[in-house]
Amino acid sequence: MTNNDPKFEFDKPEMVENIISHYPDKRSAVLPLLHLAQSQEGFISSAVMRTIAQLVEAAPAEIADTVSFYTMLYTEPQGKFNLQVCQTLSCSLNGADELVDHICGEYKINPGETTEDGKFTLTKVECLGACGTAPVVQINNDYHEGLSIESLDKLLDSLE
Amino acid sequence: MPLLKIDDREIEVAAGTTVLDAALANDIEIPHYCYHPVLEIVGSCRMCMVEIEGMPKLQVSCNTRIGNALPDRKVDGMYDMVVSTKSDIVKRARENTLEFLLLNHPLDCPVCDQAGECFLQDYSFRYGRAHSRFEDEKRVRPAEDLGAGVVINQNRCIMCTRCVRFTREISGTGELFVQQRGNSTKISILEDKPLDNLLAGNVTDICPVGALLSKDYIHRNRIWNLDRQPSVCQECSVGCNVDIYHKNGKVFRTSARENLDVNGYFICDTGRYSYHDYEAVERVTSPMIRKDKKWQKISWDGAFKEIFEKLGRKKEGDSNNVAGIFSPFHTSEANFMFARLMQNVFKERAVIGTLPLPKEEEKKFPGGFRISGDCSPNWRGLTEVSSYIYEDIFNELKKQKIKLMYALDDGVNRELTQEWKDLLRNLDFLVVQTYAMTPLAERAHLLLPGAAPLEREGTLMNDSGRIQWLRPVIPLKGSSRPDWKIVMEVMNTVGKRELDYSHVNEVLAEMNERIPAYEGVTFFKLGESGMSINEEARES
Repeated sequence: MTNNDPKFEFDKPEMVENIISHYPDKRSAVLPLLHLAQSQEGFISSAVMRTIAQLVEAAPAEIADTVSFYTMLYTEPQGKFNLQVCQTLSCSLNGADELVDHICGEYKINPGETTEDGKFTLTKVECLGACGTAPVVQINNDYHEGLSIESLDKLLDSLE
Repeated sequence: MPLLKIDDREIEVAAGTTVLDAALANDIEIPHYCYHPVLEIVGSCRMCMVEIEGMPKLQVSCNTRIGNALPDRKVDGMYDMVVSTKSDIVKRARENTLEFLLLNHPLDCPVCDQAGECFLQDYSFRYGRAHSRFEDEKRVRPAEDLGAGVVINQNRCIMCTRCVRFTREISGTGELFVQQRGNSTKISILEDKPLDNLLAGNVTDICPVGALLSKDYIHRNRIWNLDRQPSVCQECSVGCNVDIYHKNGKVFRTSARENLDVNGYFICDTGRYSYHDYEAVERVTSPMIRKDKKWQKISWDGAFKEIFEKLGRKKEGDSNNVAGIFSPFHTSEANFMFARLMQNVFKERAVIGTLPLPKEEEKKFPGGFRISGDCSPNWRGLTEVSSYIYEDIFNELKKQKIKLMYALDDGVNRELTQEWKDLLRNLDFLVVQTYAMTPLAERAHLLLPGAAPLEREGTLMNDSGRIQWLRPVIPLKGSSRPDWKIVMEVMNTVGKRELDYSHVNEVLAEMNERIPAYEGVTFFKLGESGMSINEEARES
């Protein structure tokens, strides 16, 4: 690791301290710190991993280990809106695949990719637990349930 | 203490012992991959499952501890735990676990370096089923270089994470990590942080399968073709126990040998790859004399006669004293004979000491492993067999204007300072007993070919006072002879003919009588693990 690598600093050092103070073992703070960093940066860069590794006194590889395990921690920059389309049984039976195809065609992206303007990222995810109102798309932290192609279009157009 | 019934045996164990530890300590085999005695328990391989009476499901024996049951809860009124390692359900569980572990395994044993010492092979043979029911295509991944001479064959990996825990707990460097999850899991490094620590080679030893391999050994031989010689590492004063694998006088591999009193389960990479250094030197394989600035081979008899002429006779004029250079790189036996030569033959003419010794900073690792700063394997032994010794003899030589010198050279390619070079140049006669053409040997008048490190036999005493048996791995080259024997013959030539030992254990027997620390020490008693001079009840 060279010294020319980009550095990362938390915007709110008091929150970092607060999080670490919750746990008897500093290393337990890794996940909440990762979430905090991701809310600040939008994704987990290697600079973030190094900073957190230092804070909790672990090797950077251990943080990379954790990050790679969780699918909701991103190592690449994501679009402003992350369209997470549920793929599991109920949603699949109720047209989730059509939703994915529609988004792919409309915005010229494949699942896992981000539009050129950086507005949308399309992700296929497993069960979101809202099977009663399938199909479901989670956009950032919000659920949008019982969608059709038309209502999805309307929804996406309304996002700024 | 809790009473454990395991299969048909009753064993009393300390409360808190795991079932696996209790079984292994009593020679009951429970197959396991992820468990390693000095690494954190993770219970991830699922190979060590056993049936425990009263428990609804099979349990991993590595992480199930035996405690004291309440009196009314004891099984059959007496056992605190009843374990079965051989029941049908356990057998079936092992078969299934192995089938899963082998799902993506390429079954490429014919080209795998682990074959012959692979726990996938062994356990498949003993506990597995012959066929896999997996019909899909296997996951295929390329091999990767992890750094420090270690490569990983991802297809053979069973994700036991021994290597990851090793870098976190023992070397403390934490380079390895488990990337992704589920079917995509693999052992990985950060792009800019490859394996880089002096213990890295151990991950190839602790890998139970053929995933982590040492580049040094890849495709060089098959393990069943090689002979294993338990030996002692000679790269520092810790004296780690090693196994050296060799064939027809050629060494192919060094691996760690367990000795909890010395090195635990590991060795450092310096020791692991040191056999290359021993091979890389220019060997001296017959006695040689310098004539007209050129080396000429002479016979052993000729060499001894030369020594008698030059060292044996007292001359008028200059200082008649003889400098005797001991070496902490040699066995205690060679140094003991050398001390006898100095005391009995040269007597008051002898000035004894060593060359300046290579020193490094001591390194300690979080797992307790230590690399000594003293790079010689036998300094302690040397001080025991010869107590009055100048650690660096230079000043004494200068003061006394010494003209004659007999040096045990260790083959260490040490840099000689200009002062030393000048001093050596001014000697009238320098006889060097060596196996390699070192800077010291280059300045000699007479060379006596001794044994290379892997050819030596005798004892070494490490820095905590443990005497260990150094066994010869490969035969002596050319007309070279064991060092203690050369010194004995010099003694017989220059002094009275008094000793006629034919084997090194006769030297050790004499040391038993003369050196307090060596009282009662025999090769048989030393065995594979050695003896400490600090043990009070050593007799028993």
